[in-house]
Amino acid sequence: MKVNRETKRLYVGGLSQNISEADLQNQFSRFGEVSDVEIITRKDDQGNPQKVFAYINISVAEADLKKCKIIINFLYYWPVCITLLAQEREEAKAKKEKSTTGNTNLLEKIGGVDFHMKAVPGTEVPGHKNWVVSKFGRVLPILHLKNQHKRKISFGLAFVLFLDLRNVIKYDPSKYCHNLKKIGEDFTNTIPISSLTWELEGGNDPMSKKRRGEFSDFHGPPEKVIKVQKDESSIGSLAMSTRPRRVIERPPLTQQQAAEKRTCDSITPSISSPVPVSDTQKLKNLPFKTSSLETAKKRNSISDDDIDSEDELRMMIAQEENLQRTTQPSINESENDPFEVVRDDFKSGIHKLHSLIGLGIKNNVSCHDSDDDIMRNDTEYDSGDTDEIIAMKKNVAKVKNSTEFSQMEKSTKKISLKNRENCELSDHCIKLQKRKSNVESDLGHGLKSLNCKSPSNSGSSEDADSASELADSEGDEEYNAMMKNCLRVNLTLADLEQLAGSDLKVPNGDTESDGPETTTQCKFDRGSKSPKAPTCLRRGRQCIHPEEIVASLLEGEENTCGKQKPKENNLKPKFQAFKGVGCLYEKESMKKSLKDNVASSNINKDQNSMKHEGPSIIPMEDGSPYVNGSSGELTPCQHAKKANGPNYIQPQKRQTTFESQDRKAVSPSSSENRSTNPISRPLEGKKSLSLSVKTHNIGFDKDSCHSTTKTEASEEERSDSSSLTSLKKSPKVSSKDTWEIKTDFSLSVSNSSDLSAKGKHAEDNEKRLAALEARQKAKEAQKKLVHNALAKLDGHPEDKPTHIIFGSDSECETEETSTQEQSHPGEERVKESMGKTSGKLFDSSDDEESDSEDDSNRFKIKPQFEGRAGQKLMDLQSHFGTDDRFRMDSRFLESDSEEEQEEVNEKKTAEEEELAEEKKKALNVVQSVLQINLSNSTNKGSAAAKKFKNTWLWSYNPTIFCCHNDTETYRVETVKPGKIVWQEDPRFQDSSSEEEDVTEEADHRKSSPGEAPLLEKETTRFFFFSKNDERLQGSDLFWRGDCRKKHKDAKRKMKPK
Amino acid sequence: MRPLTEEETRVMFEKIAKYIGENLQLLVDRPDGTYCFRLHNDRVYYVSEKIMKLAANISGDKLVSLGTCFGKFTKTHKFRLHVTALDYLAPYAKYKVWIKPGAEQSFLYGNHVLKSGLGRITENTSQYQGVVVYSMADIPLGFGVAAKSTQDCRKVDPMAIVVFHQADVGEYVRHEETLT
Repeated sequence: MKVNRETKRLYVGGLSQNISEADLQNQFSRFGEVSDVEIITRKDDQGNPQKVFAYINISVAEADLKKCKIIINFLYYWPVCITLLAQEREEAKAKKEKSTTGNTNLLEKIGGVDFHMKAVPGTEVPGHKNWVVSKFGRVLPILHLKNQHKRKISFGLAFVLFLDLRNVIKYDPSKYCHNLKKIGEDFTNTIPISSLTWELEGGNDPMSKKRRGEFSDFHGPPEKVIKVQKDESSIGSLAMSTRPRRVIERPPLTQQQAAEKRTCDSITPSISSPVPVSDTQKLKNLPFKTSSLETAKKRNSISDDDIDSEDELRMMIAQEENLQRTTQPSINESENDPFEVVRDDFKSGIHKLHSLIGLGIKNNVSCHDSDDDIMRNDTEYDSGDTDEIIAMKKNVAKVKNSTEFSQMEKSTKKISLKNRENCELSDHCIKLQKRKSNVESDLGHGLKSLNCKSPSNSGSSEDADSASELADSEGDEEYNAMMKNCLRVNLTLADLEQLAGSDLKVPNGDTESDGPETTTQCKFDRGSKSPKAPTCLRRGRQCIHPEEIVASLLEGEENTCGKQKPKENNLKPKFQAFKGVGCLYEKESMKKSLKDNVASSNINKDQNSMKHEGPSIIPMEDGSPYVNGSSGELTPCQHAKKANGPNYIQPQKRQTTFESQDRKAVSPSSSENRSTNPISRPLEGKKSLSLSVKTHNIGFDKDSCHSTTKTEASEEERSDSSSLTSLKKSPKVSSKDTWEIKTDFSLSVSNSSDLSAKGKHAEDNEKRLAALEARQKAKEAQKKLVHNALAKLDGHPEDKPTHIIFGSDSECETEETSTQEQSHPGEERVKESMGKTSGKLFDSSDDEESDSEDDSNRFKIKPQFEGRAGQKLMDLQSHFGTDDRFRMDSRFLESDSEEEQEEVNEKKTAEEEELAEEKKKALNVVQSVLQINLSNSTNKGSAAAKKFKNTWLWSYNPTIFCCHNDTETYRVETVKPGKIVWQEDPRFQDSSSEEEDVTEEADHRKSSPGEAPLLEKETTRFFFFSKNDERLQGSDLFWRGDCRKKHKDAKRKMKPK
Repeated sequence: MRPLTEEETRVMFEKIAKYIGENLQLLVDRPDGTYCFRLHNDRVYYVSEKIMKLAANISGDKLVSLGTCFGKFTKTHKFRLHVTALDYLAPYAKYKVWIKPGAEQSFLYGNHVLKSGLGRITENTSQYQGVVVYSMADIPLGFGVAAKSTQDCRKVDPMAIVVFHQADVGEYVRHEETLT
């Protein structure tokens, strides 16, 4: 061990990407003078930094160097391996040349072992514990191999320190002549490193967390090999002498290694197996491997924050989907928690969904429209996972609001399709459903669905072209197209309504004799075309269908519309757009039923009929019909949002406009299809793109119309349409010019981009409003239900209708102050009693109190009239009139007067008492078990707000207890638990009071258990029974001031007499 | 058929309170009728007064069950909840665990819930707290005991058990003969 300083070159591996040289310098300057820091970043072929390491020239004392190594490695400041490299590469080379001699310098650095000793094989190297002299005089380290199932192999003594020593077997190289080969066998037979996982006592810190479970991808192995090769080349074929040093230099790796292994294991099997290495490389290889592992870990830590790997993306997306399924708003959990943690009052998303279907859509939209999402999803769905698509469909299916259209469709549907069509339709159905789901998800996710569509399409369509065309799709165009498509999807509602509206009007004039086949074909066209929009290539491919089909369709009609062909050609683009809409419509409808398909076929027919009517007008009207049509549509759209009906009202006027629109749409398509079949497929595709943009605009206008005034909207549309017409024209002029199309494309892209934002906003707003409305309605309905239920409750015969419960009085008080509900039972009871006696009697009998009382007090029961005895008393009094002198007070009561009645009920009461007793006991036990109001039971009077948890077990009659959401806290002032005077009064103790006492006690029990926890938690709870339930007040309210005062007064009055 | 003794009641309530806490009193004291616990063949039945009266007409040795069986007392006089009590525990449960669809089956076959199957958990669930297990669709599947607190659940590795299985609705099939 030398004390003097010498400059050394340290290798520091596993650094994070953003480490700076200054950092390293700071870190290492503690140990010595850092003369030079060189950070090297190694990148993979994509340019992602794969590993970062540094060389540090440091002049450091030997002791300091050791310290440095220990500290750096153990403190884990960076997951670092620090390696002492040869001071110069040249030196290493020189060593290689000499190979057996002249490396004393190095040896000294590591503590000086002469690696070649003349000794009997197997003798230990003096002064070095685990080193032995092997055959041929080489000094080799004793290897400690993990014994248990050969699961772990560790090389070198340094590793051993960190292993569980019990499981290690010693491998003495001197015992084997072909030791290296032997190890090699072990090595290759072992379980892949990725599965060498070990328990690691981990803490809470993020680092250990990452080590344990959170993962990212891992590109270790290839790099490893490369590195090995490189090092080999630089150092040459390393003599054994250098090997051990390496091993020694990296002692603390094992921990990291273990951790790394675990992560690798759980994440991806990317580290498939230890790289098969030749014998000579084996020992060398290990350290390298570890270093690469470390770098991988580094990357893990990085990628936890910013997602850069595909695996992570996939995970995130899967998670998102999961969460969507549950429709939890707080879903965005970090991947650290694959499970959510919810609060006590958590209600499952499913229930929410039912109530908030409208909102659900909005949520989806708002949650997932970030660009990142889009891109990610995009990449994700290129794979064409049908599973995922289906899953998506499931998600969105609920949220769909296509109910609006179903009605219209049904009304319009009149044609029954032939059997032959049906099979086709069924195919369609499946396909379209998928697509629809995609569309819906579009709404939610932005653009994801476009890619989704392609797989389903390709699967369903018979085109062989599609595959090849898909293959050469360009990223940019795709993206743009996707953006557009997203817009279009947003429009679907309005467009669909429009279509439906037009559909309604036209069928009457439908004189067409197209065979059913043609209609179905048309339908098919649309179905296949809808997905077209996303990518131009796809579009081009899909154009094939429509062309052929429509051509066949129009063959019969060519006679009539032959003259219009040229004009129609100009108008091509519109049709595409319309088709898109139509298919969207179809998608929506498909979900409902097959009938909807029929409806869509109707649409097709309508369009056909329109062709007959007069396509000649079309070219001139380019802009105007659109404006008209759209303005006309404004109202139906608005109506449709609320109620679907109104569409029928105004169609008369607009019919013409609609028709013209339709004509436009149809005719271009036909001509287009006929004329440009083989040549301009791709062109058409692009045109359709621009057209789709147009439709977007229109749709957007419609949306805006809802929010703004109609006139504004129409104006906007005009402008839009004008711009659109210009767009349309460009394809016209150079229909075969691809360049033109491209510019067109870009234009449309810009259009769509800004439109999308606005349109989304408007739509969102609308949805929100609708949802609010729905909610309000629901609430009102609920209220009504409550009212009804309460009325019913009042109607019910009470268990003890003939007598007044003690609690009822106080009940009345609180209720009258708190709520003005007419129908609570307490009051009812009072009224009943009033029916027996006279209302006058009530008021006048007790003059001093009730003089200035208002209504609320009028119905109170005088304290002496409470209870069964009180009732009798009241009866007596009513007989004797109101004169004080003749008043029969309780002194006239005889306890035996009730006995007959009691005898009748004796049996019943006995049983009831038994049960009540049992209940009381049970409640006692509950109290003791729950360890709540042991204290409360002593002072029963103390009260606080009561809480009851809402549970559906109790909502026996759902109509009664459905006021879930009314949170009310009854704050009851605390009353001193003083002795109640009248209770002690023997005069009030009659035979009947026994039973009442029991119930009263029970009441106390009931009310008290809830109190203690509430005092602690201060949480507001839901009440689930109506406010006037006696349970809520409990009997303790009875003891509140007024009553007691009255009792006292009554007593006072009696005493003087 | 007899009412529970004080001790029995206490033991049983202590057990039930692990799952539903103070909501237990809502079981004892129901507004919609009188319900009580009855012991019959070492089993505890939660039964309405009405049914109890009806069942009183049947001799004890012929009576198989009445009301809802909550569980049974073991020979050592401990109380063991049966899955039949789930109907009453689930709505009142204070601590809940939702398991992912993939783990449902495993749980329904009587296995513990691993962290990998854990979809959602009530916050501040403590260790060994009784929990009711739901599917992600909020269908109660059974109940068990939290092997780890919520905080621990975050940390443990995916294969660690987070909920010990106690009863699941699969027992309706598996233990049909013993469930009454």
